[in-house]
Amino acid sequence: MNKPIKEKLESTFRDIQVAVPEDNRIAVTAEKPNVLAILRFLKDTGFDHLALLSAVDWIEDNCFELCFILTCYMQNDDEYLDSQRLHIILKTKIPRVKPQFVTITGIFPNAEPYEREIHELFGISFEGHPRLTPLFLEREYEIPPFRKDFDTRKYVEDIFDKIPFVMDKAK
Amino acid sequence: MDRNQITKWLKAPAKMANKYSLHAIYFCTGCGIIEVPPVITARWDAERFGIIPAATPRQANLFLITGYVSVKTLRAIIRTYEQMPEPKYTVGFGSCPINGGMYWDSYNTIKHLDKYIPIDGWIAGCMPRPEAIFIAVTHLWTLIEKDMANGYIRYKDNYESYRSNQEMALGKLEWPPLYPASDEHRGGE
Repeated sequence: MNKPIKEKLESTFRDIQVAVPEDNRIAVTAEKPNVLAILRFLKDTGFDHLALLSAVDWIEDNCFELCFILTCYMQNDDEYLDSQRLHIILKTKIPRVKPQFVTITGIFPNAEPYEREIHELFGISFEGHPRLTPLFLEREYEIPPFRKDFDTRKYVEDIFDKIPFVMDKAK
Repeated sequence: MDRNQITKWLKAPAKMANKYSLHAIYFCTGCGIIEVPPVITARWDAERFGIIPAATPRQANLFLITGYVSVKTLRAIIRTYEQMPEPKYTVGFGSCPINGGMYWDSYNTIKHLDKYIPIDGWIAGCMPRPEAIFIAVTHLWTLIEKDMANGYIRYKDNYESYRSNQEMALGKLEWPPLYPASDEHRGGE
């Protein structure tokens, strides 16, 4: 199963690197404009489940890396076929300054909360997303807190440690 | 009923009744709540100690905060605590509400829960065993008997400090103060 998908990907798209790090794993590295087409292609090939959409902050290379992990849903009732044990990870790099990407909610609707999360924690905005509102956080942060240059210890010292203990008036 | 305690019952019946009928609000904070189902069901059976879970905060008087408190949870904790009828007792469960625990440098988890609401007792550990809840409860009985479980009185007395701390962590609160400031404090308004 690894081989045909790898060959298909390599023959369909230019400028992508396809690696097979271990059995049942395929790692695809692609450029930003190709990503939507590759996702659509993989969905049509049978990888119809977006298991995870995540981001990595490569601060030394000055870029963010988005990772899309795709798998298949179980086709027969009782067990996975060998061909369905495959996981595909698709990686793409975007610049760290004014990071922007296109939403993939049109292809995988379940990407919506993932994109909101990434928007909130990494500050990457997704063009065309229906609602990029805050998901988890209550406070406002100057630098989104999952970026590597966000100093959590300094933040805690400045905010939470500055709040005084309550002294009992009656004593 | 224990015959030795009959004088206590005659002296302060309300206090004794509070002591032996603690209704714990079933508020799930963090990971510690996993210890509560075995505590209230057949394995450890908290009803031996007079504790039963209550469905809503308005029917409860024991508040177990079980685990780390994120900023969003703090908002819910304050609202829950303010709805509980008096007398009410709070117990911080696990090391995270005490001083942040493993989340002591987290960007979204508050340390020191007692800056925001008064706490009557702490159970240390990560995680404490269910038996620790019973040790804490028997200790809470002693505190109630000696009038030392006075968190709700401290909350009333120092409400302005608590409220200002809450606003420092959460920004402007959308609900009115539980105890409005008295007239002499209001002054220039």
